Amino acid sequence: MKTEKISSKKFVVLALLVFCFFFSAGSTHAAGDRLNYRLKWLFNASVAGDLYADVHGIFKSEGIAVTVKAGGPERDAIKELELGHAQFGVASADQVIRARDKGAPVVVIAQLFQINPLQWIYRSAAMSVDSLQDLRGKTLGITYGGNDETIMRTLLAKGGITEDDVNLFSVRYDYTPFYQNKVDLWPVYRNSQGIFISQKLQDAGEDVGFLIPSKFGVKFVANSVVTSERMLQENPDLVKRFLNALLLAWEEAMNPDNEQKTITTIAEFDKDSSPELIEQQLSITRMLIKPRKDLVIGTIDAAAWKQTEAIMLKQGQITAPVAIENFLKPGGQP
Amino acid sequence: MLHRRVYQFLIIYCLGILFLLLLKYSLGLSNYVIPSPLNLRTTFSEVVSRYFSDVLDTLSVAIIGQFLSIFVAFLIGILARKTTWFGSFVKVAAYNFQAYPIVALAPIIFILLGDGFLSRLLIAAMICYFPLLLSVLGIMSEPIEDIEHFYRTTGRMRWQLAIKIRAFENLNKLTTVISGSATLAMAGTIVAEFIAANTGIGYSIRIALYQSDLSKILVALFLIGITLSVYQGILEWAGIVAKKAWAAS
Repeated sequence: MKTEKISSKKFVVLALLVFCFFFSAGSTHAAGDRLNYRLKWLFNASVAGDLYADVHGIFKSEGIAVTVKAGGPERDAIKELELGHAQFGVASADQVIRARDKGAPVVVIAQLFQINPLQWIYRSAAMSVDSLQDLRGKTLGITYGGNDETIMRTLLAKGGITEDDVNLFSVRYDYTPFYQNKVDLWPVYRNSQGIFISQKLQDAGEDVGFLIPSKFGVKFVANSVVTSERMLQENPDLVKRFLNALLLAWEEAMNPDNEQKTITTIAEFDKDSSPELIEQQLSITRMLIKPRKDLVIGTIDAAAWKQTEAIMLKQGQITAPVAIENFLKPGGQP
Repeated sequence: MLHRRVYQFLIIYCLGILFLLLLKYSLGLSNYVIPSPLNLRTTFSEVVSRYFSDVLDTLSVAIIGQFLSIFVAFLIGILARKTTWFGSFVKVAAYNFQAYPIVALAPIIFILLGDGFLSRLLIAAMICYFPLLLSVLGIMSEPIEDIEHFYRTTGRMRWQLAIKIRAFENLNKLTTVISGSATLAMAGTIVAEFIAANTGIGYSIRIALYQSDLSKILVALFLIGITLSVYQGILEWAGIVAKKAWAAS
């Protein structure tokens, strides 16, 4: 009898805990006004501005406390926004469009990468990609289900190239097939893997080139800052302050005059990369985030977003148009 | 036994889905976070045949991997059953090997064997052999005194006979462990496919994860669960048949 009572009590406590978990989710504010900002990937040079804002007190100067959280393959900022575990996050356009297609109340308040870092590396002595027709007969690495598959299929369609004209090779994290010359073009993030693969090949006396999809008119949007519709409606001032701080930090981090400061900031979090490597990553990240001096970081390229949506619709990745332009809120305008 | 396993799985699966739906509707979550029943139904009809063939592909590798691991576990268990230096050496080697996380070893395996059948098989066997080994070691190093004493005093005891006696007397335990290890073999194969393969349900799950498509993952889990329940039911049934046949002979 006593055991039964204890068990019932335990059950009630457990039920209360589950109940509290349910109802803690979905709030637009974290406890004590501490905001959670979920990145898309691990801490490295591609999140330089996010780390800079945190370390150099730029969020604090706007009167907000922000916990910057590393992302990763198993993290999804949009889901965390809905569950209330994060108030801001970074997601790629395909994630946002897919989420909107399924009714997720997510909005885009800034676009960080103006050029998608996802590109293809190749040995420039063996080939060059001056036109899409140069892809004919080549073995092209793609990650089935990944962004690169979508982008490559779009490039092929744009060039009027069918799957029979090329060999598609399923890519893994192991680059051996590329090193062994079994694959002609290998997908890489230009500002991370792109650097060390180039380095290895250059050490072996081989020069490399990159296939940049945007040069052929395929502008598939990458990392952008997102929040929930509710956050934007209920706390527009907070969204603005967050965005002001974040974009200011990105401008400072991308400013070549602050290079050393930015490298030191990144190195605090990315212990596995040498300062020399971080410097190279930073230099390429700068090119992708701020390709022109006059471009304001965070600018949303609405045409590129519409193109991304059109590509996904054409490839059956979304069931119907989502009118993504309605959910682009530059500067956090409600 | 077979149908009991299947309906027990169905109860667990349905409870899991109900919990997710409760969460979805109580928090007002979108279909992106948790799919609606309609989403699930649509996805099910779209992918069920492809996923089922993927599950069978994975299961076939898992079965071969499991039999390989049974063989290895028995081999090591028999070699290591004695408290000799060699027995203890084999035990230490087997235990240490298990201490390395498979995800850390996987890249080496893929570099050596590529991302095809052999890698999947090896990883499946590596994941499921250890619990088998522990059971086999426990069983093989524990004498059945009542029976073995007779053969020892009459001078007819040989190591093969000792193994037969211990295996027969613990057949229920062995059947349970072998049946349970099927789950690990399946999990091992899925892990291998998830990390690096171009076929199997693990590969399909990876693609679904890339696309944040929980409904596809739920369909995959359903098919994995139901197939595994049937396979485990068959293993248990085979254990009973084997015991009856052995007892009769």
